[in-house]
Order: sequence, then C-alpha cells, then structure tokens
Amino acid sequence: MSARKPIKKAVARAPMRKPVAGTPAWVMPAAVVAGLAVVVAGFLIVRWYTTPLPPTAPSQDTTAQVIMILTTLPASEFDAVGQGTANNLIKPVSGTALTGGTGKPEVFYYGAEFCPYCAAERWPVIIALSRFGTWSGLQTTTSSSSDIYPNTVTFTFRNAKYSSQYIDFASVETTDRDQNPLQSPTAAQQQVVSRYDTSGTIPFLDFGNKYASTGATYTPDTIGGMSWLAVADSLKQPDSNQAKAIIGSANLITAAVCKMTGDQPAAVCSSTTIQNLEKSLK
Amino acid sequence: MSRLQLAALVASVAGVAVSIYLTVLHYAGVVPGCPVTGPVNCEEVLTSSYAVIAGTAVPTSAAGIVWFGVSVLLWTRPISRLHLAWSGLGLLTVLYLVFVEIVRLGAVCLWCTGAHLLVLVVVLIALTMWPARNTLSP
Repeated sequence: MSARKPIKKAVARAPMRKPVAGTPAWVMPAAVVAGLAVVVAGFLIVRWYTTPLPPTAPSQDTTAQVIMILTTLPASEFDAVGQGTANNLIKPVSGTALTGGTGKPEVFYYGAEFCPYCAAERWPVIIALSRFGTWSGLQTTTSSSSDIYPNTVTFTFRNAKYSSQYIDFASVETTDRDQNPLQSPTAAQQQVVSRYDTSGTIPFLDFGNKYASTGATYTPDTIGGMSWLAVADSLKQPDSNQAKAIIGSANLITAAVCKMTGDQPAAVCSSTTIQNLEKSLK
Repeated sequence: MSRLQLAALVASVAGVAVSIYLTVLHYAGVVPGCPVTGPVNCEEVLTSSYAVIAGTAVPTSAAGIVWFGVSVLLWTRPISRLHLAWSGLGLLTVLYLVFVEIVRLGAVCLWCTGAHLLVLVVVLIALTMWPARNTLSP
C-alpha cells in the first residue's frame, strides 16, 4: 500500500497542459463542419442503399393474374377484414350531385403517377370499384424513384376504362412518374378539385359530391419493396398487414359508393361490414 | 458583447421565430409554403409521424422554440461550458432530424433546414469563441 504513494504524488504534480492554447479558433468549427458533411453523406448512402430498385414490370400474364386476384376477392375476405387498419379519411361534402357521362353518380379520382400516396390508394380503389363494375386498360407502374416511399408498385388510371350499371368513374393523372405533365382536368373537374380539395393534397377522391377524401388511407410503406403479385397474394390472407390496410380501405370506399347508389347492388352493400362502415361515414 | 456573440443571439432569435411559425402552422393544420421538387417537400416532412415528439401531440418545432429560447438567454451572458453543452445538445438533435429526413422520409423540409442551419451557426460560434475564452481566463 505504502509503495503506491510516491506514484500518486508524481501524477498529481505533473504540469497541466493547456488543451487548446495555440490552436487557431477556426480549427474546431471547421472539424465539426467536415464531420457533419461526412455524416450527412453517410445518411445519403444509407438512403441510396436501402431504397428499393424499381421492380421489373410484370409480364402481361402476371398483370392479368394480379388484376384477376384483385377483382375476384371473395366477400368473406372483405367481411373478415372490416375496416382493418385503414384510416377513414372520407368526409361528407355538400353540393350538386356529381354525375358522369352516362348520368350515373360519379366517382372521381384526381392524382398523379409519381405520387406514392396515389400509388397506395389505387389498390383499394380498384378493388372497391370492381365490386360495382368492370375494369379494363389498367397498366402497372410505380411511384417516383426520387420521392418518399420510392417505387411503390401500383397501377395507373391513365388508360383505364370502367363500366358499371351503378356508377361512372372518371380519373385524372396529372403527371407521369417523372413528373412530366400527363392529363389535365376538365373545367368542371377542376371546379370540383378546387372546391373540395382546398389543401391541394393528392390523391383526391370525390364520391358523387356526397363524400370526398384526400390522401391515402394507409401508408405506402405497407407495400414497400413488394412486387405486384406479392401484394395481390398477400390480400388473400385477411390477417396480413397488406390486407388489413388495402382491403380495409376498399371497404371504406365501398361504403361510400353504396351511399351513392342507394345500397345497390344489395349483394355488396347489404353486408354487415359495409352497413356498419356506412354508419361511420355519417 | 462581441460580434460573434451578437450573431449567435440573432441566430437564436431567428430560430425562435422560425420555430414559432412552424408550430402555429402545425396547430392551424396548414403546411408552410415550400417548393415541391423531388426530395424537397415540406408537406411530406411536416405531416409525417416524426413531425410530433414521439408519444405526444406536441410538434417537434415546439422543442425548437425551447432550444432557441434557452439559447437566446444563454447568449446574453459570457460564454461558458453551458453554451457548449447546449450547442452539443442542439447539434445532436439536428443530426437525428436530418437522419429522419434523409433516411426515413427521403424528403427535406426547407423551413426545417433553415432552423437546422441556425442551430449550426450557434454551434460554430460557440466552438469559435470557446478557445478564446480559455486563453482569457486561465
């Protein structure tokens, strides 16, 4: 024990060094700026590394298979999911009834191909409207590679056709996935957008001027990195995250459309699930 | 008060102003005017789950008001270790928020970036003044 004392004394008497004396004042700030630049560069590399590549466009057969899955989901699947994890963004609006070219109540979609939220929302729109009519001309695409939730798999409505004995459907995709101008709304459509989508948020959905919604009812991350077929297959499992989000959203949209059609067709609108959701729409 | 100290004070006051602006808009449900070009998108950032302090409904910008407010008070006094500690806390927070913007969201909010740069200005001034303080007071 006693042998340690001299050592301690020697340490205690060591002359203290001035830590920064003589160091130019700019050195430390410059080092911090340089360090920050490295860290931010690191963030960018991580972002680049974790960004999913644009998935290869599926073959025509696969596209047809995916659309078949989406448009033939059994009623039991819709009932099993209910609202799922979908966020109900559908609000009642008032105004002159919106009707389409054939005079039927119209569902109007306003969005853009680059937009990841539009990419997410098209899935439930396609599923819900397929319960009231028939789609054709749906093409696969992905959201922008450089926006949030890059390369989210989806379909575009740019050449889509929809026929139904209950409703009409109109759509405007304002830009392609690279944000080049694509389609313009008619004057009447622009009026609807200006009136009910005051925040300018897309996607915007108008249900015959009875209901309207802006934004996506679930986060695009839910289908991040998945292929079209993987998303479609996941919808067959009611307890999957994708089914809870997408089919839940489709049920909400279905309820809004049923409100437009006076609960027609009964095979769709009279289900307990849809009736309950209709009540939640007010 | 030296020029650098005055600059830190001005940056802190500007930070309070930016943070109050973002907080008021948050509670008003309005997204600030900001160009939407590629990854620059205020709406994406300010409507994300990261726009509020985790587990609360308090906007992150409210924390900005507190940080810049304390910074204003600090910079009315001679530089001390507290300035460095407070600057370090600010810098770490900014790094986290930049991480969220770049890695998690892939979107950058210009107003937030403005606030981050003001924090950086304060940090750099504190680091610049600290050695001078050491030589003045042995």
